[in-house]
Amino acid sequence: MATPYTPTVTGTGVRATIQRFGGHLAGMIMPNIGAFIAWGLITALFIPTGWVPNKTLAELVGPIISTLLPVLIGYTGGRMVHAQRGAVVGAVATMGVVVGADVPMFLGAMIVGPLAAFILKHVDRFTSERTRAGFEMLVDNFTAGIVGAVMAIAGVLAIGPVVEKVTEVAGNGVEWLVSHSLLPIASVIIEPAKVLFLNNAINHGVLGPLGVAESVKHGKSILFMLESNPGPGLGLLIAYLLFGPRSLRPSTPAAMIIHFFGGIHEIYFPYVLMKPRLILAVIAGGASGVLTFLVTGAGLVATPSPGSIFAYMAVTPKGGWFGVIAGIAVAAAVSFFVAAALLGFGRANGDRAGDPAQNITSDDTNTGETAGESVPATKEA
Amino acid sequence: MSSIEGKDVRKLIVACDAGMGSSVMLASTLRKQLKGTGVTVEHTPVNSIPSDADVIVCHTGLADRARASAPGVVLVPFQVFIGDPAVTRVVTAIKNGGTING
Repeated sequence: MATPYTPTVTGTGVRATIQRFGGHLAGMIMPNIGAFIAWGLITALFIPTGWVPNKTLAELVGPIISTLLPVLIGYTGGRMVHAQRGAVVGAVATMGVVVGADVPMFLGAMIVGPLAAFILKHVDRFTSERTRAGFEMLVDNFTAGIVGAVMAIAGVLAIGPVVEKVTEVAGNGVEWLVSHSLLPIASVIIEPAKVLFLNNAINHGVLGPLGVAESVKHGKSILFMLESNPGPGLGLLIAYLLFGPRSLRPSTPAAMIIHFFGGIHEIYFPYVLMKPRLILAVIAGGASGVLTFLVTGAGLVATPSPGSIFAYMAVTPKGGWFGVIAGIAVAAAVSFFVAAALLGFGRANGDRAGDPAQNITSDDTNTGETAGESVPATKEA
Repeated sequence: MSSIEGKDVRKLIVACDAGMGSSVMLASTLRKQLKGTGVTVEHTPVNSIPSDADVIVCHTGLADRARASAPGVVLVPFQVFIGDPAVTRVVTAIKNGGTING
């Protein structure tokens, strides 16, 4: 399958390792996104600057973000390591960092949850061979209780304060980037990493936790929009529809709908991987989108997940629609023009009939096959 | 390289990074295409592929992890999410008989 046109994209061991690590981080957040959205909706509606300010209901905002969400993350992280028992000690340990710090402890939860479960896993391995018949329940309950209690104490006294410091430093770093208008440069890293399937790791593992800390402080955060902006992918797909290899054009409208409205960005990654130079288009689109967000002071209340236009609209704070929509539109436009230019406005592919070079460069390869079969497959679906 | 006859496939797993986005989409497409064949189509994160999977379908960018997570199972990597020939071949093999190589 590997041709100059469709290079092999199976990665190196390093990439798989980074993906796996990032996958673990995202794996603690993503199953809980429903709770994040509940918090985002409550916040957008009921805080003093929200759509329908309501003091009583706004009291939900603080406890959910500072306690419930970290505990859910710690619970999920613990479950990934050591099933239900791991989940329980993960949640208990997370309470330690929640109490031990003043900022939302997402990073702390992502550390202590799996750590406590990991410790319990080893304790279980040790005790299970030595426990007499009939004492299993007693031993199991007390080992979990003791590990949980110790980890919670360690969280309050040691881990919480340290992670708070780290969150603070990272937050200051981001603020520095924002105040010096350097944030668009982040797209140079984010967009290529995204198409290598590190999208969830970046958005939910790194940007999301920092964004929540900022959102609590300022009522919104630009960090939620760095990776999840659906604009660059949309622009790229439009360019493919108009100027891409003819064989690929039939599949792009469906891809656009799934990407822009459904928020599944993975759908456009292959279109970049097929022609790697198009990464320049999504970088340019992403960077100009971020710049637009910066200039207009746009931000979101919570993480828009999936990165669909609907999710964006739902977590946009009152009065913030202009900047958000402008950033998406600018990103799509820039990405479209750069991608169109890189695709030679359709000419570079030799799409004119009877061009012999074209048959060799594109249609004879994998993509030709794709076209032949893609149309019926899509229709069947 | 392992392989399996299309008629022997009982469980087909679509895997993606989180098991929540692209895999759900492709799984629902395949479920419709394989309706009436008795094949169960499930979507999972690439790190937790169930051990009773007969065939795994996942994007080439995640193939390394799928292979590590479920060694020995027939793995069909694909490039595009809509109408990829590799995926179409799997569907054809299950429906009309044939061998799936992974």
